[in-house]
Amino acid sequence: MKPTLILVGADKGGVGKTTMSRALLDYFARKNILTRAFDTENPRGSLHRFYPAITEIIDLGNVAHQMKVLDTMEGASVPVTVVDLKAGNLSYSLDLFERIGVLEAARNGMFTLGLVHVVGPSIASLDEIGEIAKYLQGVEYVVARNSINETNFFEWDDATYRKYFTQISKTHEINIPKLNEMAYEQVDVAGVTFKDFIDNRAADGTAGKFSFVLRGYVRKWCAENDEEFARVKMLQDILGTRHT
Amino acid sequence: MAITPTIYIVASDQHRNGKTLLARLLADYLLLDGRDPFLVDTDAPDGPLRNYFPGRTALADFAAIRGQMKLFDTILAAPGRDYVVDLPVRHLENFLAAAADLDFFAECKKLGFRVFFFYVVDNSFTSLKAAKAVRAISGIDLFVPVHNKLVKSTWPEDEGSLVIPLLSAPIASAIGNRRFSIRNFVQGDVQGLTEDMTMELQNFLYEVLNNLSNLEPVLTLKNLRN
Repeated sequence: MKPTLILVGADKGGVGKTTMSRALLDYFARKNILTRAFDTENPRGSLHRFYPAITEIIDLGNVAHQMKVLDTMEGASVPVTVVDLKAGNLSYSLDLFERIGVLEAARNGMFTLGLVHVVGPSIASLDEIGEIAKYLQGVEYVVARNSINETNFFEWDDATYRKYFTQISKTHEINIPKLNEMAYEQVDVAGVTFKDFIDNRAADGTAGKFSFVLRGYVRKWCAENDEEFARVKMLQDILGTRHT
Repeated sequence: MAITPTIYIVASDQHRNGKTLLARLLADYLLLDGRDPFLVDTDAPDGPLRNYFPGRTALADFAAIRGQMKLFDTILAAPGRDYVVDLPVRHLENFLAAAADLDFFAECKKLGFRVFFFYVVDNSFTSLKAAKAVRAISGIDLFVPVHNKLVKSTWPEDEGSLVIPLLSAPIASAIGNRRFSIRNFVQGDVQGLTEDMTMELQNFLYEVLNNLSNLEPVLTLKNLRN
């Protein structure tokens, strides 16, 4: 099977881009699919903190680092690669991938390329959407509406929303539900994956001391995520669960 | 009543029908039986149970997530002993929803607990319906419908229930005093009650404690027959 490269990006920071990457990596881990990840938030690497074993921090401005992404795809030993794009850099990164041939390689069928575009509840987060449209040919485009750490509802009214997203079908739109703040915070503090938190395992692999209640809320949240992910064609293909 | 560590949950969908009295009687019964129950009163900040059992009662406000953690995490962190949980009416639905979401009863089972659910069925059909819904929840080892004679009950008699006999107002008021210990009374300290009152309370306690100790075999038998 063709490997898959999933780019996770957003136009602005703070919309839960890294959380989205984590949710995806977690989903694959729970489904026993091997993954690797690139964190472009050089040098801090917040994704790296949660997935140190499979995540490499790279600087997309660096040519050697750019090639690492492509080389991984050619090696194809791991079926799924997730790239967490630095906030605010979505169109820049897409342009870069176009220039170094990543998009073309995908169009030529070397691998499947997906873009998960994370949008937060404010209208401002939609501003750049027009700019990226030209890169989307041959790309599995998924819009993820992220409510994980939000208490308020999405500001968009239907008309505004349709203006931006007319071309996106339901199967390409997912909603990441809200996770109880205290649960989110505890996972964050522990620096573990959602799966390990649910299984009560600390970052160093020893038995954790996480609250049963908070673990329960994370488990419930993951189950809700699973339902959303299960609708996405690209993810169905990876899991081999696609029914036609 | 049971040698296996057990979680006793006391609840109802109606107010003022003897729920806290029952939780208190249960705790005293267990103490008299040589058990070491820990109580969780989810009715913070009032916490009537804590007045009777200071030192072995945790107060948790179930409306807040911290309260839920206090209740569930306290119990699961220290298995091997009995727990009595007093659930006020306003938290019943939340409790049942959270227990289902978190798979609480299954986790209890893993840690070797049994779960007994005491439900005071009031004199209304709403209450009867609510009680039957709780009885249908999986993971509860013994559902105990409670018939408090003072408020009457719509629970069908032939299905068996725990009966709390009538208690006259002066005695109810005397034992309601936070310094009155039912356990000490059973062990002979009448704590200033008159002879008539002592006699009445003795009869009441004899009946109710007896009902408690026969509860499991009686209800199990009923369930088998039905």
